[in-house]
Amino acid sequence: MIKNRVTLKILLFLVVSDFLETFSQFFFKKTAIPASGLDVKNIPDALIFLNTVFFSPYLWIAFLLVFLTFVLWSTILSKIDLSVAVPIASFSYILVPLVSIIFLHEKVSALDWTGIIFILSGVIFVSISSHKDGAATQ
Amino acid sequence: MKTNVLFIISLIVLAASFDTINQLLLKNSINSLSSNINSIKKVIVFIGKLLLIPQVWIGFFFCCLSLAVWLFVLSKADLNFAFCADSMHYIFIALASRFILKEKVGLWRWVGTASIIVGIILLTISNR
Repeated sequence: MIKNRVTLKILLFLVVSDFLETFSQFFFKKTAIPASGLDVKNIPDALIFLNTVFFSPYLWIAFLLVFLTFVLWSTILSKIDLSVAVPIASFSYILVPLVSIIFLHEKVSALDWTGIIFILSGVIFVSISSHKDGAATQ
Repeated sequence: MKTNVLFIISLIVLAASFDTINQLLLKNSINSLSSNINSIKKVIVFIGKLLLIPQVWIGFFFCCLSLAVWLFVLSKADLNFAFCADSMHYIFIALASRFILKEKVGLWRWVGTASIIVGIILLTISNR
């Protein structure tokens, strides 16, 4: 049975999990920024790098957000199918560039956005195809 | 961007591969357990059994490797570029499902995969 009834509550959960995922990536980026000057060419360099990121409080905020996303996502998937949830969740491919522009002052060009649209439609195709193909074989 | 974009892409390939290995090991371990879970007690028993499987710990090791590579990527590249390029793990999962788990991958999944590849190529050209 395909569980595809997206209620308002599920939609809200999906939007919240999109934001949680986006901000976990934002905090991973904040974790990595102080290490941007480090060059990793050998094992001791790698240890210095790991030491720098491991003690960053941002890393632990990111872990917390990843854990919350996981809990929320498990709840979502008990209510609707992955093939329905992923296309709505792939909204984060828009959200991450927006957060990058607003909070990290990154530049996103028109060509970047074109690439993002291709990726977004690709992710949607990949996920909805599972029940389309399933229906075709019945 | 300061660092060579192809170098960054290959690191993202590495991180996505480690993540795919983790997913395969986890999926394989979960498949080997009974999936009849209808109470909190059974969830705890399920997790307990899962933690006794060595494969799960090998998967966790790959998960940590993937995270370390990912943080290194983020220390060198823009977040929006790295995050979007990381969508390549959908391609690896599709390939692994087809060739390792022998699952059936339909036409639309390949169309989606091709679209993701086009998107990553455009981003790579744009961030060169």
